[in-house]
Amino acid sequence: MRAFLLRRFVHALVVVWGVVTVVFFLVRLTGDPAAFLVDPTATQAEIEHTRRLLGLDRPLAEQYGDFLLAIGRGDFGQSIQTRRPALGMVLEHLWPATAVLAASALLLSTLAAVPLGVLSATHRGGWMDHGSRLASLFLQSMPAFWLGIMLILLFAVELGGLLPAYGSGTIRHLILPAVTLAAAPLAQNVRLVRSGMLEVLGEDYVRTARAKGLAERGVIYRHALRNAALPVLTVTGLSLGFMLSGAIIIETVFSWPGLGRLIVQAVPGRDFPVIQAGVFVFAVIFAGVNFVVDVLYTVLDPRVRLA
Amino acid sequence: MTRSIGIFVLTALLAVGLGPHPAHPADPPRVVDGHPIDPDAELVVALADDTNNMDPRIGMGSIRSNYIRQVFESLVDVDAAGTPQPGLALSWKAINDNLWEFTLRPNVRFHDGEPFNAETVLFNLDRMFRKNLDKWGIKDVAAGTSFEKLYPMVTKWEKVNDLTVRVHTSEPVAMLWDALGREPLVPRASTIKSGVDALNERPIGTGPWRMVEWKRKDSMRFERWDGYWGPPPLVKRMRFQTVPEGAARIAALRAGQVALIEAVPPIDAAALQREPAFKVVSAAQKLGCRLYVNGRPKDKYDSGGKDGLFADPRLRLALNHAINRDAIIKKIFGGYALANASPVATVMYGYAAQEPYAFDPARAKALLAEAGWRDTNGDGVVDKGGEPLMLQLLFPAKHYGQAFDEMTAAVVEMVKDVGVGVVVKPLDFGTLLQTLTKGTLPPNGGFTACRTSNSVDAEDQVRDWASYTLVNWTPFTPELTTLYQASRREPDPAKRLRILADLQRQIRDWAPVVPLYQEIKIYAHSVRVLRFAPLPELHMDFRGVALRK
Repeated sequence: MRAFLLRRFVHALVVVWGVVTVVFFLVRLTGDPAAFLVDPTATQAEIEHTRRLLGLDRPLAEQYGDFLLAIGRGDFGQSIQTRRPALGMVLEHLWPATAVLAASALLLSTLAAVPLGVLSATHRGGWMDHGSRLASLFLQSMPAFWLGIMLILLFAVELGGLLPAYGSGTIRHLILPAVTLAAAPLAQNVRLVRSGMLEVLGEDYVRTARAKGLAERGVIYRHALRNAALPVLTVTGLSLGFMLSGAIIIETVFSWPGLGRLIVQAVPGRDFPVIQAGVFVFAVIFAGVNFVVDVLYTVLDPRVRLA
Repeated sequence: MTRSIGIFVLTALLAVGLGPHPAHPADPPRVVDGHPIDPDAELVVALADDTNNMDPRIGMGSIRSNYIRQVFESLVDVDAAGTPQPGLALSWKAINDNLWEFTLRPNVRFHDGEPFNAETVLFNLDRMFRKNLDKWGIKDVAAGTSFEKLYPMVTKWEKVNDLTVRVHTSEPVAMLWDALGREPLVPRASTIKSGVDALNERPIGTGPWRMVEWKRKDSMRFERWDGYWGPPPLVKRMRFQTVPEGAARIAALRAGQVALIEAVPPIDAAALQREPAFKVVSAAQKLGCRLYVNGRPKDKYDSGGKDGLFADPRLRLALNHAINRDAIIKKIFGGYALANASPVATVMYGYAAQEPYAFDPARAKALLAEAGWRDTNGDGVVDKGGEPLMLQLLFPAKHYGQAFDEMTAAVVEMVKDVGVGVVVKPLDFGTLLQTLTKGTLPPNGGFTACRTSNSVDAEDQVRDWASYTLVNWTPFTPELTTLYQASRREPDPAKRLRILADLQRQIRDWAPVVPLYQEIKIYAHSVRVLRFAPLPELHMDFRGVALRK
């Protein structure tokens, strides 16, 4: 078990190093940010002067060496656009804005999915099953952009400002973006739980549990769900990554000051330090979440532990 | 050039009573336009984006300007028509061909109490021209405008007295008042004490608003600066709220959660106009969007030994006559754009209206034929020497907005209709900039892009073809260069305006680019908002804006 965890941990470290290295070279292949900072009427001499000020005229190997050393100190340099420490900017957008939004959406999509998926599976073919599947299809098909705007129009405009149309900071601000962000993963999780449950409900050990006289609730939630939950756990780990890094549409629609918009705006502006710090944080989160999922697998499924 | 001709006063209005802002009233008004107002209210304005920084030296693009100019002011102000007005300078004049004098406004203080005076201006000129930075102990920053490279003829600046500064040049510079006068000024003492980076975190200006809180990518809060030299703002607080999505901005306005929104999509403006709770206002901007084509000589870019295909002005004129600008403006912009054949925006000082390029496909084809391009094989694309005329169009998709993207698609079809083949290459704006920086635009290349200005004077826009820059792919002929230089040097305002008009006419006939449209920016606000007048500038001015009770 200890060797398994150690191996996974080393894997995670290698993944993080690999990702930041690829990003370091990749963003530089697409050019440098000097042209963004100068006026369009700037001459080559002015652009070169700006490159020198940014230290981009140094050899690439030297820049990479400095970059790796600086990472060790937690220093990703200053944002080219804002002149503020890049890692600090990433962390201040990660917490609380992105973390709170992602955690809320994750809780919503997971906690609501379990009872809905179970109900759908245990009432297979009934109106509850059909309703749940239709709702899932609807939620998965709707673009987040459209759903977000519709929710704003309904709750902020038509219902007389019941919820705010934009911004962050309070629970009221959180509701609409969290619901919008949770919609697609919720639908996906409902379908996963349903199919997982349908698979395990026909297994011998479930029949045995019932034959032993266990209450149906105990059979479903203690025996069946535990086995049906494995794929949900994997998808939830991936969803968390998506919610942390890919919520750009939701952040844009709801003016949520999160990490997605920060990184997406840094890319076209070639703000190298922010891109590198952001990707580093994402890589750590993804690797961390996958590590945790691996650990949870060993808890939920002894076969993984023993392998 | 005699001294008597050389000396002129562009603007010598005394601010008190004659400037854009009336004398400081003892009691702020409680009623505006017959409506009782709420002086303690907060004005919430939804903007499409947050600023990256507040240090004016770093850059004054359209987003940054909106924030920076609430806090900082410059020597030269502008009114709602874009006319230069006294700002932190009461007047400016050329003493002789190579010497300008700025008379500063007295009794102006920064938000931290530091007085504004000649020392402030000298310090700012040092920063702008990157001189004496060691003396002040401040660091250099990568800046949008390199004054020392753009205006190398500015040689020296000196203090005459506390309220007078003189700037020496090695040759006449007619628009020096604009070149130097529009840069927002920062305090000397606090910048030296706290460092340049502090300008970003805690900007301290002389403007009507003090920044009190900045939640990045979320909002910036301001409070009325009670020590303002002009009439204080008519609302106590103001908040700039970042709402990137246009539909969300409109929803927030409808929900009453913001009072004013910028960048209303043209398609939504008409609907908002019909609603009595809102008012839609607009102003022509300096932003002009163009089709640039490669007409550079082969030794001026990474050419592979080929001159730019569009070096022949007849080809560029043909492209100009191929475009139906009226249709684009009507159908895509809902009337919220201008066709302008001058290289200078209609709202700039020195603009001279030019004869529009008529939409005339027959004439376009005739010009192509005159240049030797004919459709010899009947494939719909003109050719010469067996080579078809193909424009490789780099298109920065999703950078300037949906209307721009739709316009580019329409332009492509119009150009094809006169027999010019077009290969469209959508790419991100950063990649386009890298291509232009490296000079790797293909010989038959072109791109659609927009150009705005932070200046008031036409010089900033006719300069585009004077030296090799990102946007100059059709350099001036020697004759145009001579005329351009004359427009920079002529000190007599009337004569200079005539030279500028002549230069614009000649540029129009020589057609270095294909002007597509000039932006009209649309704003919408609640009827509670009184006296909001959009500027032809990159920023909004909230001095004098009130909120009804």
